Amino acid sequence: MCGEPPGRRPCGAGAMTAAPFLPLRTRPLPDGEALCVADTGKFFTGSSEFLRRLASDGLSEADRIFLEREGVAVAEGDELGAGAYAYGIAERLTAPGSLDYLILVPTLRCNLSCSYCQVSRAGVKQSGYDWTEATLASVLKVIDSLPTQRLKIEFQGGEPTLRPDLIRAVIERCERFADRQFVICTNLQELNPEILALFDREEVFISTSLDGDAATHDRQRTGRGGTKAATGSFFDNIAFVLDRYGPRKVSALPTIDPAAPPDMDDLIDSYASRGFNSIFLRPINYQGFARKRHSQSREHSEAWRDYHRAFVRNLIARNWQDRSRVLEESYFSICLRRVFQPGRDRYVDLRNPNPMGIDYIVVDHDGRVYPTDEARMLTRAGVVDLSIGDVANGWASAQRDSLNFHATNQFDPACQRCTYQPFCGRDLVDDLSRYGRIDLRRTDTEFCRRHLSIFDFIFELIYDDDLAVRYSLTRWLRLPGTPAALGARLA
Amino acid sequence: MIPLSLPAVAEGEAPFVTRLRRSPEGSFDSILLNEDEVGASFSGEHGLLTVDGAAMAELDGDIVLVQPQAGRIERLLRAGSRHNSLLVTERCDQLCIMCSQPPKKTHHDRFELFEAACLLAEPHCLIGITGGEPMLYKEQLFRMVERVLSTRDDLEFHILSNGQHFGREDVEQLRQPIWQRVSWGIPLYAPKPELHDRIVGKAGAFARLEQSFVHLLMAGGRIELRTVLLSSNRALLPALARHITSRLRFIEVWSIMQLENIGFAKNRWQDLYVDHAADFSEVAAALDEAALRGVRAQLFNFPRCTVPAAYRPYAAASISDWKRKYLPPCDGCRDRDRCCGFFAWHPDEQALAGVTPL
Repeated sequence: MCGEPPGRRPCGAGAMTAAPFLPLRTRPLPDGEALCVADTGKFFTGSSEFLRRLASDGLSEADRIFLEREGVAVAEGDELGAGAYAYGIAERLTAPGSLDYLILVPTLRCNLSCSYCQVSRAGVKQSGYDWTEATLASVLKVIDSLPTQRLKIEFQGGEPTLRPDLIRAVIERCERFADRQFVICTNLQELNPEILALFDREEVFISTSLDGDAATHDRQRTGRGGTKAATGSFFDNIAFVLDRYGPRKVSALPTIDPAAPPDMDDLIDSYASRGFNSIFLRPINYQGFARKRHSQSREHSEAWRDYHRAFVRNLIARNWQDRSRVLEESYFSICLRRVFQPGRDRYVDLRNPNPMGIDYIVVDHDGRVYPTDEARMLTRAGVVDLSIGDVANGWASAQRDSLNFHATNQFDPACQRCTYQPFCGRDLVDDLSRYGRIDLRRTDTEFCRRHLSIFDFIFELIYDDDLAVRYSLTRWLRLPGTPAALGARLA
Repeated sequence: MIPLSLPAVAEGEAPFVTRLRRSPEGSFDSILLNEDEVGASFSGEHGLLTVDGAAMAELDGDIVLVQPQAGRIERLLRAGSRHNSLLVTERCDQLCIMCSQPPKKTHHDRFELFEAACLLAEPHCLIGITGGEPMLYKEQLFRMVERVLSTRDDLEFHILSNGQHFGREDVEQLRQPIWQRVSWGIPLYAPKPELHDRIVGKAGAFARLEQSFVHLLMAGGRIELRTVLLSSNRALLPALARHITSRLRFIEVWSIMQLENIGFAKNRWQDLYVDHAADFSEVAAALDEAALRGVRAQLFNFPRCTVPAAYRPYAAASISDWKRKYLPPCDGCRDRDRCCGFFAWHPDEQALAGVTPL
């Protein structure tokens, strides 16, 4: 014996068979099996027999070999295994770089009045909702101070193309960045030569809303308070920019009213027929005007989750039938890639920790700075002031620090027991928006329910033996081929 | 093939490093005196130098090692080339069955001359260091790397090593920021110790390699993992991929390399060579596994027309300019500039049989 406290395994003769380090969490599957996931996100399914062996400390030699090969167990004395485990943990954590992503809101005015408007937009003729000269000057000063070679700017609104002069001033100031990208989020209601001159730039991309077929789009967006002509001009304009630039430069997303979701095939056809392969299915966000007009959007029903699952299944069937293109639901793909490919995506709405006001910020129409787009929406709705500073005086504030103290799922007791923690994120603003507080039991939040549902579905598909399913999953994971299996099984 | 060594006549006895130039630009330059159909002659601070067998247009800007007694120059850093490497020793403590450059017993220490050459390098060069096993002379190697990189903050090194010599005592040193400009090309041939050890001809090599990986991981070292495709490891390639995505995720990139028809491999070709064009399944499975779990992989020495279209983006133009050739049918290929081509010593007949221009 070598002086270990009672209850610990002795070293020496017993060391050869010492229990491996096995940081596993399990989630029951329907047939007595369980999904087993290590802290690093490495996973497999274990049979009920394996679960019994695990619980009774009776792992077999074959179990040990399997667990070590899959990288979920670290054998006593395996220094490289221990290092790989630590590296695997680190890979799952966001390490934010310096500020290189700006969301800019040059105006809050808009020429539409959508039922679910998340930002509580201002009327097109109202004054006091655009950047002042001084705000523009401060934004340009921030851009000048960035230490990076890479910069992404998203113009949000309101309708940013109401102020093409401000967009142009920003873009022209960015020429020193070797790698730069600008996304103009526009409702495409009005095009004019000044706006087209912006779109014509190689580094500019167009992002718009397309809620499905004309009737749905009209009901939710263009028909409200306007005329039928608005719907017509939107569809004319989206056809025009697609014809002029092709789908590479244009993207669109639909906002779905879960209480009245559109016909799935109509929606997909409306995208596919225009050459859009990615569809980001977004339920109405519980923000802005939607808080009153779509109050049921606070909690999404099981019906919404069923719709989403059926939507993904529909895409799988279509992809298998027509191999010439790959359609995907963007959020499903983002979550799927987080399971297998840590650190590859820079999707800021699902990451852990989720640093606030570090690598990206939102500059609102009045120059105030927010950590996320939803934070400015919530502030505008008068729920809670989540601004962390302003563009003239900086945002390295106590408010930012206090958000960042909590912007992680690492120490949440519910998350610590969850198989999906390594893949999941933390969204303080979402909790504040729905519940006005961040200290709810995680499993009682919509964020948690939504992600439990989506990751359950992902693992159901990972272990689906249907080749058509695997075909789509591996395209969404950007693989050259289609391997025989995507997950290991331990009998 | 571009000659790396040329006959030369020089004054003096001791070897020296100089840069060949048409007109003076800096110290250490040897300036062109005249040029004829045989070669070119120069004058510099070491006296007169005459080089045969190359035109001035090819030599201009080259940094060369002049060996008066041997009557040769070695073109260490050729101007405008992205494939310069320094052979720092021919000794090695492994004996790989397919070694393209079989080791020799003797060693001539030339680190100081190499250091002088590196300091003259063109801006923003990546300089290769190869052997033999460079880490057999770890002290000299580390000293040269640190001196060059601390003087020239625009340079980087890529060092080929068998990974048998990294120790815990190196971690603190290799953790210094300067070493972020060094990447290590380290071979791993199989996920099982017995097979890896047999391929490299050294018992215990796999276990020692794992130790080195621990030290490099702790130092934040940059690793290019290299695997030569062989008849003995092809079946285990998918398992090796799983091994890498599980235990070696910290590597920068994994290079799967096709065999080079020279050195030991030349006479063992039939035993060692895998015709990947006839059956690509193991390579495909390995690349899929790496892609699935987000480990970057690439194919070296795989001509693009021999690789299935879905995997072609992995096939890099890997063969160094000086030992690369294309075949007559390659002239009409749209992928030629992105293709590795063939090693200059690869038998034409065999190469031609597999070429189908894209």
